[in-house]
Amino acid sequence: MKRIYLHPLPIRIWHWVNAGGFIILILTGANIRNILNLFSVETAVEIHSWLGFVLLANYFIWLFYYLLTGNIKIYIPPLHHPIEFAKKALRQAKFYGFGLMVGEQNPHHSTFYNKFNPMQQTAYLMIMTVLIPVQIITGLFLWDPKLFSSVVNLVGIQVFDTIHVLLWIFFSSFIIVHFYLATLGHTTFAHFKAMFTGYEEEHEEHEEHGHSPSH
Amino acid sequence: MDNVKKKLSFLFIAFILFSIYAATAHGALSDQAKVCLTCHSGRGMTKTLENKEILLLFIDKEGFAKSVHKNIDCNDCHTGYMAAHVSKKRVIKSKREYTINASRVCSTCHPDDQLKKIPMHSPLMAQAACVECHGSHYIQKMAEWKKGINETQYCLTCHKHALSMHLKSGELLALAINESSYKSSIHGNLLCSACHTDFSKTKHPVRTFANKREYTVLATKLCSTCHTNEQLRKSPVHASLMAAATCVQCHGSHAIKGMKIQKIGMDESQYCLTCHRGKLSMTMRNGESLSLYIDEATLRSSAHATLKCTACHAIFSKTQHPVRVFNSTREYTLVNTELCKKCHQNASTQYESSIHYALFKSGNTKAPNCAGCHGNAHSVAQVKTDKTFGLTSCNKCHGELNNSYEASVHNIARIQGKANAPVCSSCHNAHNIESTKMTTKIKEGCFKCHKDMGKVHSKWLKNPPIKTATFAGAHFDVVSCAACHSPQATRRIYLSLFDTKTGKPLMEEDIIKLLDTTDAANLMKKIDTNGDEIIEGKELWGLFSMLWNKGVRTTFTGKMDVSSSAEAHQLGSKKEATRDCDKCHHPKSPYFENVFIVISKADGGTTVLPAEKGVLSSVYSIIPARKFYAIGGTNITLFDILFYVALIGGIAVPIGHLSLRIILSPIKSLRKMRKGGKK
Repeated sequence: MKRIYLHPLPIRIWHWVNAGGFIILILTGANIRNILNLFSVETAVEIHSWLGFVLLANYFIWLFYYLLTGNIKIYIPPLHHPIEFAKKALRQAKFYGFGLMVGEQNPHHSTFYNKFNPMQQTAYLMIMTVLIPVQIITGLFLWDPKLFSSVVNLVGIQVFDTIHVLLWIFFSSFIIVHFYLATLGHTTFAHFKAMFTGYEEEHEEHEEHGHSPSH
Repeated sequence: MDNVKKKLSFLFIAFILFSIYAATAHGALSDQAKVCLTCHSGRGMTKTLENKEILLLFIDKEGFAKSVHKNIDCNDCHTGYMAAHVSKKRVIKSKREYTINASRVCSTCHPDDQLKKIPMHSPLMAQAACVECHGSHYIQKMAEWKKGINETQYCLTCHKHALSMHLKSGELLALAINESSYKSSIHGNLLCSACHTDFSKTKHPVRTFANKREYTVLATKLCSTCHTNEQLRKSPVHASLMAAATCVQCHGSHAIKGMKIQKIGMDESQYCLTCHRGKLSMTMRNGESLSLYIDEATLRSSAHATLKCTACHAIFSKTQHPVRVFNSTREYTLVNTELCKKCHQNASTQYESSIHYALFKSGNTKAPNCAGCHGNAHSVAQVKTDKTFGLTSCNKCHGELNNSYEASVHNIARIQGKANAPVCSSCHNAHNIESTKMTTKIKEGCFKCHKDMGKVHSKWLKNPPIKTATFAGAHFDVVSCAACHSPQATRRIYLSLFDTKTGKPLMEEDIIKLLDTTDAANLMKKIDTNGDEIIEGKELWGLFSMLWNKGVRTTFTGKMDVSSSAEAHQLGSKKEATRDCDKCHHPKSPYFENVFIVISKADGGTTVLPAEKGVLSSVYSIIPARKFYAIGGTNITLFDILFYVALIGGIAVPIGHLSLRIILSPIKSLRKMRKGGKK
């Protein structure tokens, strides 16, 4: 069994804070919209606002870490080889859609500098550079529309609310799928364990490669 | 001893006087008169009365000798005077008192019933003492006197006194003529009978009049004897005035001076008042009559007391009086409202942005202009000193709201004498009053007194983790103060249509033009496509997109307010105010159940259309009402459905994938076995 160091400590901290925050934000979001009734609206809004700021700060842990280490490139697809990248992505999709079920080998082998397969790379790039920042910014606008009135009034607060809610819906669905994908390691909890220890375990022969859901 | 001394003194004086009398005796006079005149013929003989008037005691001996009373003893009229000379000093208060007392003696010889036989005498006797008309010591026989006296003097004999005449209307007509004013007037050389043709030294008919007006009209007719109508009508103002006023109303009667002289000696306002203090009026083309009367006393006590007439009425002066004709009193009011601008520029500018002006401009005859609230410019009160003006003037039209105001904390504070207790204008402003349906600016009125409300509300109206002053402000932008502070009120949401380019309400009239409809009814048909008189989300979008297609960018600005003006004024105490977040921010909050679409009209009014209860939850309202957001209240229902779909999808993917993995697991095992075999 071979151990590969994939997740440095700052990223592990960021990940689990993010994961916990996401779940509570999704739940309190549902509470604010009266889908759930765990707390009063006032309490749900308070928790939601607090956690929003926590995740805002947390986002900067991720950003600063990857910018300062220069390892942000693991999120950047090789756009200078688009056809090759597309082929790899297709191969990866085929693996998830069929190969994995019939015992084929994962076409992607994670290393510290090449952590994501093409599908992960595309998805996480979008999430980390577009969707989460948009969710944070729209959240800030909704938190105090008057404070950001110069921007909010240009577009309309309800438009920002719509974006925020649609992303909340997306993340609600995403986190379930993300959880499931995390179970597709060489054992069900291999990826979970890796996100705590930082090390992903791998068979020496590389007979069977699991999926690495984290980033 | 004293009596003996007095008698001796008397005998001595009598002896001296008799000696003088003997030397200067005048045969025509009685002996007693001769004795009295011994002293009273002295020109310097006077007496100072109690009121400091000087009573002349000199008697012209010759004049008296020619009078009808020459043979009467002085004592016959001045009864008891001789004794009074010696025994005690006589106290006389005033000339008038002396005159009245002296005249009483006349009735000894001229009894009242005899005097009253002469018709004019009777009313005169009540108002003037005998000597005031007839004199005293030089009275001649009437027939002789009349021959020798000028007619004017003859008339003035009585009319220089404060005579007056009671008219049937109860009015008192003064008949007194100021002799010096008359003599210095342009008519000073005319005889009285030149105008008062019925009167002369021998004729004095007794007349009665219904009222002063009747008398004035009659008196004025006589003016045309010399001043012909053709001559007077040469001046256009004169011509118009002649129809409305009598000559004497402007020119007066006995003190008339030449106009040029009159103008020189008179300040401008007094000149104007010469005519306008009379009951002048002006007839409009539509037949309405407008009073041009100015009550001088009221004007003098008004806020404009120190202004000259020409300060406002600039086109008029002592030398200019253009003749203006207006179609109606309204047209006249429109022109005159402009006059206020000259001094009250700020107030006028503010007024022109108000709902009142919009109503006024649209032709609403009840809409207030400057005078509508402040009253006539000639009687306008000082607003700064009248603290209740902002309440009383509003109540002229908005009286129905007074009851709710009276029950409010504001009025209670006012009754308690608190200096800053607000009246209507304190909150609604005095001039730039907006439709409360279309604005949340009313809060600025509240903030005039309730300062630092941002900070005060931020103590509890906050959104953690960072406390911002703006968070409470975000609420103030869309929630009226009354919505929280009127405890019993029913809340409503008003979605008001604004043009985003101009930032102003888009007028119904403009929408009618833009959407090529003919009138408001047809516009409503175009908006309310299903004709149920309730605006649904889709119809809201319909209006928005129709306007968008015409190049007009709009937004429905949302505001939470109370349902009626009365509720807006029933403000309770701070303790009663709503401060429970969940009351508003809950999808089932009753505060969001009553939604109305508001479209402004050019006349300042609004068209208010009831909207569907769920219009704010409709996906169609996202863009049209994009500037109105409230947690809970504006939740889009479709997104809740999408959430469930996404959840189901999120769960279905793993289940589906896992199921396939299980189904295909035999293949996986087979392949593993093969690999193991190879190995």
